[in-house]
Amino acid sequence: MSNNTVTAFKNTLSRELKRMVSRPIYFISTFVIMTFCYVFFLTFFNEGQPNKMPIGIVDLDNSSISRQFVRNLEATQQAKIVMRLNSHKEAREEMQRGNIYAFVEIKRNFANDAITNRRPTLTFYINDAYLIAGSLISKDITYMSAATSIGMQQKVLRAKGMDESRIKGIIQPIALDTHLIGNPWANYGTYLLNVILPGMLQLMVLLMTAFPIGVEYKQRTSREWVENANHSMFAALTGKLLPYTVIFTFLGVIGNILLYKYMHYPLNSSIGWMFLATLLLVISSQAVGVIFIGITPVLRDGVTFAGIFGTLGITFAGSTFPIEQMPMGSRIISELFPIHHYFNIYVDQALNGIAIHYSLISYVFMLAFLILPFFVFNRLKNAAISQNYPTK
Amino acid sequence: MPWHKKIISILKDILNVLKIEFKTMFKDRGVVIMFVLGPLAYPILYCSLYKNETLIDVPVAAVDCSRSPQSRELLRHMDATQNIAVTSRYSTLAEAKDAYNKKEVHGVVYIPADFSKKLSTGDQTTVSIYCDISSFMYYRIINQACTNCVLSMSNHIQLERLNANGITGESANMIASPIPYNGVILYNEGAGFASFLMPVILVIILFQTLFLGIGMIAGTSREENRFHVLVSSSVHRGGTVRVIIGKSICYFLMYAPWAFYALELIPRIFNLPHIGIAFDVMMLMIPFLLATIFFSMTVSVFIPNRETGIVIFMFMSLILVFLSGVSWPQSNINGFWKTFAWMYPSTSGVQAYVKINTTGADLRHVSFEYISLWIQTSVYFATTCWAYHWQIKKTSKKQLKAQIDTVSI
Repeated sequence: MSNNTVTAFKNTLSRELKRMVSRPIYFISTFVIMTFCYVFFLTFFNEGQPNKMPIGIVDLDNSSISRQFVRNLEATQQAKIVMRLNSHKEAREEMQRGNIYAFVEIKRNFANDAITNRRPTLTFYINDAYLIAGSLISKDITYMSAATSIGMQQKVLRAKGMDESRIKGIIQPIALDTHLIGNPWANYGTYLLNVILPGMLQLMVLLMTAFPIGVEYKQRTSREWVENANHSMFAALTGKLLPYTVIFTFLGVIGNILLYKYMHYPLNSSIGWMFLATLLLVISSQAVGVIFIGITPVLRDGVTFAGIFGTLGITFAGSTFPIEQMPMGSRIISELFPIHHYFNIYVDQALNGIAIHYSLISYVFMLAFLILPFFVFNRLKNAAISQNYPTK
Repeated sequence: MPWHKKIISILKDILNVLKIEFKTMFKDRGVVIMFVLGPLAYPILYCSLYKNETLIDVPVAAVDCSRSPQSRELLRHMDATQNIAVTSRYSTLAEAKDAYNKKEVHGVVYIPADFSKKLSTGDQTTVSIYCDISSFMYYRIINQACTNCVLSMSNHIQLERLNANGITGESANMIASPIPYNGVILYNEGAGFASFLMPVILVIILFQTLFLGIGMIAGTSREENRFHVLVSSSVHRGGTVRVIIGKSICYFLMYAPWAFYALELIPRIFNLPHIGIAFDVMMLMIPFLLATIFFSMTVSVFIPNRETGIVIFMFMSLILVFLSGVSWPQSNINGFWKTFAWMYPSTSGVQAYVKINTTGADLRHVSFEYISLWIQTSVYFATTCWAYHWQIKKTSKKQLKAQIDTVSI
């Protein structure tokens, strides 16, 4: 790099730093918003798993057996009985009001039927409009119902004089042992925050790349910007964007530390790999941001497209709904989102802790984004000099 | 002025503001993107991405150390489910793990060597599964499919064993399942992902595009105005309230068709749940749109430029999804965030829409949200009046100062 470029870079950098302190938007969309996101998501999901969610019970039997079942249900982790209802209709209306996510119905003569071997059915209703609440509660109630059955089975078989190992073989001939790879607690916060926090970071990086560049065109200062950089587009862009690279990488690393050190979310490899991924997420998102403002050097279009892309990135990361199961073509589109590669690194390294060579390709992919800005160098430069774009 | 003339003049003023606002809206490409393209395209885009309600044939590896007819039968059952497919077989767990690391499979089923032996001796045997939990969906689907297959095979063996012990017929059934239980899923029978999340996203799309659009209009008029304030006093001599009513009617007319499209047509086109009464949804939309409009107009006073709103408030979309209390249940949101969430019309809008549209509630059942939205409408109307009044005062002050300056020169 020639001495000229270095001076141009330095000039641009000091010019940008002055601009950054001139308006509050720069401080707000870096430190304030990211801090808000960290505080919000960490306090919002601090339970990790929603516990003691409200359910109802329709106990038309009111016998010692039904009351015992209700007591057992109260001991479960995820459900809490908040109301006793007199009829199915009443319970369903409470569900429609959103006051309970599920209810268990114990029919009349339940105890009597159980004692006289008439096999009374226990029915529970789950509101899966609230899918997460519904499926967690359903798991707990199913478990409780099975446990109640098993208790009765054991009693009967023991009465028949069977020994314990035989009883075990009859009650549950095949047991299922479920292992969760990497996240032994099935903590819901882990799924969400590991993609949402970097997702927020890349959204703000995209916006804060399109904005500081676009605003030059809007305020008709773009010529001054390029001339100040000695007509080197490379110096003009790197000098302008470096402060944001530093700020967002710093904020991203804080995010990593919050997740893996403070919240103790699974980290099965060195945290350094996540730091590197965060740095690459920042610069690859900056590269994409440059493309958006380069295609149309109109500030409003640039930030709109950057914002849409950043929001979609959270979907295309692949955590909420797997990409493989999305319509054809989504897999290819997802490769265009830096956050998708970041997410793959997170899965391989932090979650699964597998050998680093599996992840190399993801790091390389993120680096490859850095080629993008070169395609719009000329366009940005010409527009900057001629200033022929609408400012609105 | 007689009262009827006064009313006519007020109506004329309002109509005038309305016309001007409509014109500015459609002349501005940025606003058209927000107000037309956004509510039109976003619902289609997200519905297409999430159109698979559940996971189909998730690839799973099998490590069958038993190699017996029974183990093969179990694997065959698993493969036959809709949700998972046994795509590869390995002789050791280490080999399967490598396939998992390469993301060729998302789960591993391990059947131990003594599987069939234990089944024949009447002992308990254990099948292990390893699930990918990079996505909650993988874990839920793989675990569920395997549990179902193991349970059905288990039940079969259970009866055989009871028969072998001389317990047959009804008494065997009695022991096998003394209290049969039956879980009934309501309102989203297939436990579908889109059916659950899309209603939330649809309401948030309406809220955010309207909010950002109004912010953009406000920022623009501020930039173009000579004194960099939101409302210029010369244009709207009719008074603050008339300006606000004129503008809000304009936004309302713009968004009422979009609300119908997003909340009534989209669920029908994409086969999302829609058992609610359309009339109730539309009744709900009146206070929802009004509260959103006045909320946005209040906040827009603080937006100095066209783009500021997008840069500063785009990130709220996702936060509003969580605050609305459907994905993370509302019962488990702590008091502080619940209060914070309540201030946003989107929260009550989402809750009430999901209840009406998805669970078939009627307006009676969502009275809390419905009343909340009307309270928000009136409170945010008041704050808008106050904020606009303040802006107009600022304009006249600046105007006065400018006049004095000109005179002194």
